[in-house]
Amino acid sequence: MASEPASAQASDPAAVEPLLRLTDVQAGYGRAALVLRGLSVTVAPSSVVCLVGPNGAGKSTVLKVASGLLTPRAGQVVVDGVDVTGRTPQQLLAAGLSHVPQGHSVFPEMTVAENVLLGAYTVHDRSVIAERADFVTGLFPLVGERWSALAGALSGGQQKQVEFARSLMVRPKVVLLDEPSMGLDPKATGKVFEQVQRMRDAGTAVLLVEQNARRALEAADVGCVLDLGKVHITGPAPTLLADPRLAQLYLGGRPKEVP
Amino acid sequence: MTGALFAQSLVLGILLGGLYALLAAGLTLYFGVMRVVMIAHSAFLILAAYLAWYFHERSGLDPLLSLVITVPLFFVVGYGMQRFLVSRLRPISLTTMSVLLTFAVALTIEGLLGFVWTGTQRRVQLEYSGASIEVAGVSIAVVKLIAFALAAVSLGALYLILRKTSFGRALRATTQHPEAARLIGIDTDRVAGLGFGLGLATAAVGGTALALDYTIYPSLHWHWIGPLMAIIVVGGLGSIPGAAMAAMLLGVAASLLQVPLGTTWAQTVFYLALFLTLMIRPQGFFGGRLAQRF
Repeated sequence: MASEPASAQASDPAAVEPLLRLTDVQAGYGRAALVLRGLSVTVAPSSVVCLVGPNGAGKSTVLKVASGLLTPRAGQVVVDGVDVTGRTPQQLLAAGLSHVPQGHSVFPEMTVAENVLLGAYTVHDRSVIAERADFVTGLFPLVGERWSALAGALSGGQQKQVEFARSLMVRPKVVLLDEPSMGLDPKATGKVFEQVQRMRDAGTAVLLVEQNARRALEAADVGCVLDLGKVHITGPAPTLLADPRLAQLYLGGRPKEVP
Repeated sequence: MTGALFAQSLVLGILLGGLYALLAAGLTLYFGVMRVVMIAHSAFLILAAYLAWYFHERSGLDPLLSLVITVPLFFVVGYGMQRFLVSRLRPISLTTMSVLLTFAVALTIEGLLGFVWTGTQRRVQLEYSGASIEVAGVSIAVVKLIAFALAAVSLGALYLILRKTSFGRALRATTQHPEAARLIGIDTDRVAGLGFGLGLATAAVGGTALALDYTIYPSLHWHWIGPLMAIIVVGGLGSIPGAAMAAMLLGVAASLLQVPLGTTWAQTVFYLALFLTLMIRPQGFFGGRLAQRF
């Protein structure tokens, strides 16, 4: 995998100021016990960072904290040098974070065009919107081909492309992807990871959460192994894939519960 | 049934169906956007009818002019009701608790109407109240025609708002996937408030149309809420075109059945359609797979 430079940057925070940095984040839901217990993770420019770990490790919660859906109880979220801890999803969108949630999230009874253009809901300049629509249809040709179709009528993999295109309409610095391969067949899964790399190559950093750890690490530059609300190991994705202990602990067995 | 009688009933049914369609559109809008069962919708309808009647009594002007006041007023009240009452309900039990909450609101409105204007039956008297025009042997009351036109124009406006405006797209997005809507920067709480206001504005228009043609009294809203609830289930909860089509069909059916069965039994067509829908196609007949089609 030709991703050594990116991973070297990401694993050495001093080299490049990261686009997204979560520091010692503690977070949980309601009165229940904490899900994240002092989690730290960084995403460097033009890199794909993948969080892997068992069910209940807090993978999705990391993304919810980063995009403002969940306010952390402690810790810091910094986007491109600006502290954005505790801001609303709208403010974080403006700061450069775009979140694609788990499962199907297209607006099924709207056309692909309406879906993609709604991605620029917070943008008001029509010429900018048109320019970005061109950009995303260039990146995801299928989106242009099915422009007038109802989004709900597309296959799962195609819907993911619409979601990716929609999330790029704000030209985010970092895209947060929550289990993009969930519910897809192996072929569509392969395509999704191809598109993740395409987003990275087009200049958008990606923070990815995946159940399908092995497949995701193959597409990522940096891997972080999460367990019990903390990052235990961070390293270049190929290194993690090659580590026999990790393979046995996290990449081998099939998870029993469904999130 | 003779041909002339059939034609007459059919026309009456279509005119009534138009009013049902507008009111059902409002009712299905609350459910689509907020999963709220709005029992008080028809109580607001009767409130608007009373306001139109009172406006006419006091000013001597045409009750239609009261729309200028009631539509914005109801919009604001709807927005406030969503933001300060409905949004306080816990999301997990929102739908069931909204039944209780709006039931209480309906009782409050009914009580206030009786308190302020007594239980006496009221009717707007206009120069054109008895007027009718005749087309191909069918006589159509002018007031019914005006009511239908009001409903049609409002439904058209509602459709344009939902289809062509940025707010409309935000509202449809919120209906179809609230979390994704929030994540692309839509303020879904505000959208829900405005959607509720829009729904209540349809009750203002409907109430004014109702005042032209009906004798009104405080408890009249109970006669309306049943058929309207049945209509939105038959049409597919949350679907505005579904509600409009089901309203038209059932309105015409009820009107045609009045001739052989009488008014009381003709009303049962709404509930029959409701039972059949729940048995055969619980997601509704026009609602699409997710009952969220617009």
